[in-house]
Amino acid sequence: MSETCHEPSGATKAKAKAKARAERGAGGGGAEGLTVALAGRPNSGKSSLYNALTGGDAHVGNYPGITVDILEGDVVLPSGARAVIADLPGFYSVEATVDKATDEGVARSFLDKLKDGGRPMVVVQVLDPTRLALGLRLTAELLRARVPLVMVLTHKDVLEREGHTVDVAALSGAVGAPVVLVNARDRATKAIVLAAVEDRHREGNDDQGNGTFDAARVAKKVVKDVGNATELRRRRMSERLDSVLLHPVVGPLLFVGIMALLFALVFLVADPATTLMDKLIGIARAQLTGVLGKNLLTSFLADGLLGGAGTVLAFMPQIVILTVALELLEASGYLARGAFLVDRLLRLLGLSGRSFLPLLMGHACAVPAIASTRIVRDPRERLTTILVLPLMTCSARLPTYGLVLATFFGHRSALFKALMFVGLYFAGILTALVASLVLRRTATKGKGLPLVMEIPAYRVPQARVVARKAGQAAKRFLRDVGTVIVAVSAVLWVLLTVPMPGSSAEPGIERSVAATIGRTVEPITRPAGFDWRIDVGLIGSFGAREVMVGTMGVIFGVENASDDPAPLTARLRDTKKADGTPVYTTRTGLALLAFFVLACQCMSTVAAIRRETGSWKWPAFVVAYTYALGYVAAVLVYQVSAVFGVG
Amino acid sequence: MTSLCLADAVTGRRVRITGVELEGEAVAWLGAVGLHEGEELVVLRRAALGGPLHVRTGGGGEFAVAREVALKIAVVVVEAVQAAGAEP
Repeated sequence: MSETCHEPSGATKAKAKAKARAERGAGGGGAEGLTVALAGRPNSGKSSLYNALTGGDAHVGNYPGITVDILEGDVVLPSGARAVIADLPGFYSVEATVDKATDEGVARSFLDKLKDGGRPMVVVQVLDPTRLALGLRLTAELLRARVPLVMVLTHKDVLEREGHTVDVAALSGAVGAPVVLVNARDRATKAIVLAAVEDRHREGNDDQGNGTFDAARVAKKVVKDVGNATELRRRRMSERLDSVLLHPVVGPLLFVGIMALLFALVFLVADPATTLMDKLIGIARAQLTGVLGKNLLTSFLADGLLGGAGTVLAFMPQIVILTVALELLEASGYLARGAFLVDRLLRLLGLSGRSFLPLLMGHACAVPAIASTRIVRDPRERLTTILVLPLMTCSARLPTYGLVLATFFGHRSALFKALMFVGLYFAGILTALVASLVLRRTATKGKGLPLVMEIPAYRVPQARVVARKAGQAAKRFLRDVGTVIVAVSAVLWVLLTVPMPGSSAEPGIERSVAATIGRTVEPITRPAGFDWRIDVGLIGSFGAREVMVGTMGVIFGVENASDDPAPLTARLRDTKKADGTPVYTTRTGLALLAFFVLACQCMSTVAAIRRETGSWKWPAFVVAYTYALGYVAAVLVYQVSAVFGVG
Repeated sequence: MTSLCLADAVTGRRVRITGVELEGEAVAWLGAVGLHEGEELVVLRRAALGGPLHVRTGGGGEFAVAREVALKIAVVVVEAVQAAGAEP
């Protein structure tokens, strides 16, 4: 579920693939160029089947008229023809009226475009046989829409464990479409499903049913109990879990505890990783200087490139931990229960439990979380969720949090620092909740749609799927974010080294282009305790906040290039004014944290908001209000903490 | 059989939906999700402070239904309180 910051920039690649596919479709007969659309209700087992068919390979498809990402993977059919598996968002209906911007709207537009475009296609509807009657309602609608259909019942293993069997032949006869029953974890699944798809394509859909059957009656007829003891045991276990996890008092307390534990865990991994990386960079810098001597090239390699690369690597464990934790929570069925628990609170603030999932995902990265707001059916609630999502503490903030805590609170216990870390997360959540309350009474005012949401059965998450998602998150981070950080660090090194044109004084960092820009901004940020160096860091991280630590590393690396290498935390602490007092104090650190909690320093988020709202008005609004909040909070924290005697 | 709204149904008692007093689009969507006239369901629990209801339908699905929606769903009682985990 969760992803790292920033989307893949594979549009060109995707277009080339689409073109190649269209050419294959035009020139070849049979199933060559076939598009296989995976459709189904949310939680029907679609993702598991997609992974089984494609081996987890996913790239962003390019479909004219579809403005959101549809992941697709290439497969080879039994005849040897190549086909594309397109993973549609989960949806309940193709007939009920829905907002085009929601998941249902996207899936329906996709199917309509494929049908209208005359491209060869087969729709594979994924059904959960343990909830067959629910899935059959969508089957009836798909048959009425006259799309070539194959029904794939997944969770065969769960069905058997629960003491049920499905009469596949009877179901196929009653519905009028081919049916296969599989376990997505079996190796044979891919061959079975692809053979059924190719058969359906070859035979056409002239013999398909017309979707007039009674879903409940058919489900009752074809699902047989062969020993209900196991099912009763599972239900009792599920009931026992729910009686604790959804208990009116214990449930919310456990929920807050689980969230706090998750955030603390991220810190406990992040803290040593950041410290270790800082030390390793210091050692590498010393080695480089030893080999190459103190010169411009060494400075560029050590301060410009190594500083940036170090940030990237220190950031990786946090990304992986967050991705794994959120994936486990979602795949186990707990996140939907979290939505049940917090719905009442969110209703008071003008949202609903449906907004909970995107808001929680925002803690990994706002970009996929903004896309995931398509599960929110109410357009006003969806817009509100998008507008407050950048306030959630995404993983890109973590390096700066880690640096500030290590610099100014390094002497404190790990528990104290972990609590501060959790506090920062909750500060973001609290601000987002207050912001949504204000927005729902002003900019997004109007009556909302109350919650109706499916609660999935508890499932044991598949280790393979979780590991693959973590791997994808790490890879995407390295490729998309890592390259940006290293590039920005290199450019900043140049700006810190090149003197400002017209500068008459001796060359040096004080007269550099970057320092001149920083000093120009300094009067505005001085009330928050920021000097020109922090301002340069903030300007450098305007487009991507994760760049901040790397840019600070470059600034202090260049400034102290003639000194012995020392960790960045020590350099920050040791920077003195002319009178010998420290430039940065605990108050500066707290103000910087306040700014980072609130400001939307992320151009990918801005682009995602533009894409989802179809206007520049809302991204501009988000940047304006979050920067204003960030600035005011930083000034307040810096000034008020002085009153309380913070050093 | 006494008619009441889903929000007032006793926890653990099987009820049948007899009508949904919402606008057409909302009724159609609820039907697609699995909450339609004739469907039998059991209220499993209620969230604190007037939060949503947790219900299980005859189709095997479990749903969180906001109290505001439950107030608009008319039901009749079809069976007395059940043991936990039983089919609706």
